[in-house]
Amino acid sequence: MRSVARLVANRVLLPCLGALLVLSLWEATLLAYHLPAIVLPSPWAVAATLVELVGTLAFWRDVGVSLYEFTLGYVIGVVLGVAVGTLMGESRGFRMSAAPVVESLRFIVPFAWIPLTILWFGTSYTGKIVLVAYAVFFVMVVSTARAVAQVEPTLSRVGTMLGMDRWRLAWNVHLRAAAPGIASAARAAAAIGWIAVVAAEYIGASAGLGLMITNAATSLATAVVIAGMIVIGLVGAGVSALIRWGSRTWLDYR
Amino acid sequence: MSDAMSGELAIDRVYHHYIAAGRRTDVLDDVSFRIPAGHVACVVGPSGCGKSTLLGLAAGLLRPSRGTVSWDGDRVRMGPNHDLGMAFQQPGLFPWMTVRQNVAIGLRTRGHARRDARRIADEFLETVGLAEFADAYPSHLSGGMAQRVGIARALALKPRLLLLDEPFAAVDAFTRLKLQQEFKALLKLNRPTVLFVTHDVPEAIALGDVIVVMTQRPASVQRIIPVAREDRDRASPAYARKLAETLACLGVTSDMDE
Repeated sequence: MRSVARLVANRVLLPCLGALLVLSLWEATLLAYHLPAIVLPSPWAVAATLVELVGTLAFWRDVGVSLYEFTLGYVIGVVLGVAVGTLMGESRGFRMSAAPVVESLRFIVPFAWIPLTILWFGTSYTGKIVLVAYAVFFVMVVSTARAVAQVEPTLSRVGTMLGMDRWRLAWNVHLRAAAPGIASAARAAAAIGWIAVVAAEYIGASAGLGLMITNAATSLATAVVIAGMIVIGLVGAGVSALIRWGSRTWLDYR
Repeated sequence: MSDAMSGELAIDRVYHHYIAAGRRTDVLDDVSFRIPAGHVACVVGPSGCGKSTLLGLAAGLLRPSRGTVSWDGDRVRMGPNHDLGMAFQQPGLFPWMTVRQNVAIGLRTRGHARRDARRIADEFLETVGLAEFADAYPSHLSGGMAQRVGIARALALKPRLLLLDEPFAAVDAFTRLKLQQEFKALLKLNRPTVLFVTHDVPEAIALGDVIVVMTQRPASVQRIIPVAREDRDRASPAYARKLAETLACLGVTSDMDE
């Protein structure tokens, strides 16, 4: 019984405490400064708006568009990033020639590319997909190359001793040994990719959560803006949890 | 390949150096010896004298700076050698595989069918007394057990050339003696040619047909000491003499009071 009580406390009460704290701070600010709803609506108004939004088809379409752009860009970025990162970890020649390009490009944050992607791809989905893939790619290249290079050298010798050639060794030993590190990088990359999608939609899009929010802001529907922000946070957390669950299921060994 | 060289490991006038941080370190300096088919050579020497380098050269993990290492009469090439089995100082088990998969994977890469590999792996786990741990993951094993899996993995390949890099160094003294006995019995199964690196002289006497004593780095062969059957009886004067002789080569006198 006591352990059940503790579980409830740890899993339910404590997380609620944090949320409660934020909500009361929010309410307190409203009370202290008498802010109009256009500047800061009450948590209840936002909750009501959220419920209303969830009932509309347009909302789900925006969520769907953002998720579609994110997912496609993310998968492309992860696959290419892991492939290039592995090559960099495995081949000295490739590493020497790729490193300067990677090192200089990875500090050009994805947002710096937004004006160019709008110029090249307009407000279409493609621009966002490219941007997410770009953001994710560099995170994955750098962390994959590092994770592959840090694999215990004895494991490589064992692989060779067991008769594996270079590429089998790369695939069956190095990538597998590096997988937990790569997976945690993939989670960090998901956060960056999701941020990139929304940011790109803020600036130029024909659909998506970012556009929904900027449209609401121009019509002073502040409750919708905040509701949209909450949805962005929830979707991001959901994506991150999904990746963590996936990496636990597929990669964990006791 | 001539018949005389079949199953023979020959180290011929080998020099080796590596370069780290711009400095050249000479490791091996004109090393030559031969291990005839089915014989066990134990290499002993001061630590850091290049014993592991020697194994790396024989395994095709390193290329000698000069000289040749040949197996079966052919120069050893870099990369996988399907005659080879090797056990390392660290067991080097793949942590994401079960104990059985760790033993079976080498058989799979060498073309055995899945069921076949599994059967042979179980057989060798049985021999090293770890059958009940076949489905466990390496993180659940003690150091001695993991080391045994490493040895089972090398032996399951039924290698014609077996290379061992202090495989018993990381286990306690009692377990080591037991592993040595088991190992000796296992060698009788298919009589590979063995190059065994150790820093433990009693171990070298217990397991070797010859003891190759190396000098300090840059190392060359100081002496090759043959070991006869009666030398292995730990209660015999012959054993004591062999021990003293080998230790004297390594610069250790038998009088502790000196």
